[in-house]
Amino acid sequence: MDSHEVAIELQNVTKVFGDVIAVKDFSVKIRKGEFFSLLGPSGCGKTTTLRMIAGLENPTEGRILLEGKDVTGVPAYRRNVNTVFQDYALFPHMNVKKNIYFPLKMKKISMAEAEPKIKSVLSLVNMGGFEYRLPQQLSGGQRQRIALARSLVNEPAALLLDEPLGALDFKLRVAMQKVLKDIQRNVGITFVYVTHDQTEAMTMSDRIAVMNNGVVHQIGSPEEIYNYPSSPFVASFIGDMNFLRGVLISREKRMGVVDLSGEKVFSEKCAEELRPGDEVLFCVRAEKVLLNRKRSGSKNVLKARVQRVVFRGNDYEITCLLKGQEIRAIVAAANWNSSLKEGADIVVEFKPEDIILYPISGEKEVIKYSVEAV
Amino acid sequence: MNNRYSLRKEPLFDKPREFIKGIPIIVWLLFLVIIPFAFTIAMSFYSSKGLVIEKSFTLANYIKFFTEPIYPRILLKSLRLALSVAVIALGAAYPVAYMVSFKLKRGKNLLFMMCIIPLWVSYLVRIIAWRSILGNRGVLNTILMWIGIIKEPLTIFLYNRFAIAITLTYITIPFVFIPVYTSLEKIPKSILNAASDLGANEMRTFLNVVLPLSMPGLITGFIFAFVIALGDYIIPLQLGGTQGIMFGNLIWSQFGFSFNWPFGAALGLILLVISVTILGLTAKYGSTEGGFLSE
Repeated sequence: MDSHEVAIELQNVTKVFGDVIAVKDFSVKIRKGEFFSLLGPSGCGKTTTLRMIAGLENPTEGRILLEGKDVTGVPAYRRNVNTVFQDYALFPHMNVKKNIYFPLKMKKISMAEAEPKIKSVLSLVNMGGFEYRLPQQLSGGQRQRIALARSLVNEPAALLLDEPLGALDFKLRVAMQKVLKDIQRNVGITFVYVTHDQTEAMTMSDRIAVMNNGVVHQIGSPEEIYNYPSSPFVASFIGDMNFLRGVLISREKRMGVVDLSGEKVFSEKCAEELRPGDEVLFCVRAEKVLLNRKRSGSKNVLKARVQRVVFRGNDYEITCLLKGQEIRAIVAAANWNSSLKEGADIVVEFKPEDIILYPISGEKEVIKYSVEAV
Repeated sequence: MNNRYSLRKEPLFDKPREFIKGIPIIVWLLFLVIIPFAFTIAMSFYSSKGLVIEKSFTLANYIKFFTEPIYPRILLKSLRLALSVAVIALGAAYPVAYMVSFKLKRGKNLLFMMCIIPLWVSYLVRIIAWRSILGNRGVLNTILMWIGIIKEPLTIFLYNRFAIAITLTYITIPFVFIPVYTSLEKIPKSILNAASDLGANEMRTFLNVVLPLSMPGLITGFIFAFVIALGDYIIPLQLGGTQGIMFGNLIWSQFGFSFNWPFGAALGLILLVISVTILGLTAKYGSTEGGFLSE
């Protein structure tokens, strides 16, 4: 990556609050115009990272560079980045127009000069005509868009968004995701987006950094993170993953053969540190578990019995018992047939490229599905 | 059946109970506010002959107030004093409240308590304390002589308007501090972050965001100080000397040695009208936190 293409660079950034390490040794280069997300459960250090880029916190160690210039220790008001806060932080005593004028006023731009800018940024967020409303007269989604307009009017080097859609209801959130993505494409500004919602990160981002307990587990495109999760934490945090236990029989490079309750299963994604004889964490995505009525002959086919069938609208979640271990499969409603009923004997099939093997010690990193749902 | 039964039952039992809850406040208002107030109004239209109060309607008291220049002049003097006390108290309390609210990371509650602790000490004790600070052999003179700035103790500190003003300011500072501090605490920190993020340094954040948002507390505190200073008569009496006749003393003396209750009542009502007018004019902008200006 050429240095002039980099909007934001973090170099070994660490932040310590008292005896808590909020962010640990974070290094990344964020490209100009990139939609970069910081994803993780609450308390993982993603907001702290964002606040350090904004200048609202200073890193304990490491450096932060904006467009190639070291800004570590530079106060927020001298940094060319703007933040959209979780609670929008609109000035309650100023109407929409004055709120958006504020950053321009701080740059000593006259109202007459600012007027066309305010107008164009309001039409960008589709809020023309709301100039003289007060923040408390706006709905959550409208406030959100005004906060966005206020942050964009100065044409910052990067826009930092701290869970901006967290307070909105589901339908509005989905609509606002599109709005945000469109705006980001249109203005071409770098977005750094903090969220705990994996779907939001997946659908909007060019790249995602997945964090937990202050540690960055993986940085990559949504596809990379989904298909090649670097740790059991990433595997469990994103998507719907099954975690089973097995024993590694043999391996050659990334190919591994696992004994899964007495049956041989082949995997193409075997973690490097695993040795034959090791107990392994066997991971497969629920939608990659294929269910058939009878053996079709290829490898990785195991007998199982259907335990539960849950209809979820778009699809069915089918829980099967596979030699003493539970495994969930997602079957699209269109592919479902009535033979997949409770108590039915079926066969389960995996493709070797869909199976990831981790050391069993990674099991404690796994975020339990039920815990994540609440 | 069931429904009708419960419908009939409700007004019989619930409403009187609600009424009972209201009795203490009604009694309190009636005996401590409404009745004395009615007496005062009535009294202000009576006249006094020697030691007898003549209970016939007359406007003489009000005419006396407006025709004899001494009374409006003392009122004006009191208003000026109250205004300067309120301004100084605000100037002293606001920066402290700002520091405690925004700059302190720890010990906020402790400092808050220290700022309002003077309220726990008897009013008279605090006045006498100021007398011993400002007096001839007081703390102030002793220090000045010890430093060598003066040779003889100065008498300019006590028994004048300066002494009244400084003591009243001291008395009113906690009353300004509390509403100002409350209104500063109510400003979400994210708004300050946003101002900084959008290019405002601390000074501009203060002028553009903090000051306007703390205006309700500022106004409430100002009114508290103003009204307290306007009506006080003990401090002028104790520390004011010959310059110490304030409007409050005027009223007080009508009920004391002048024994002209009707005229005192009229003066009291005039002061009340002024205070209520100021409250009414500013209530719209003041905060409701003090409990004093609630809608």
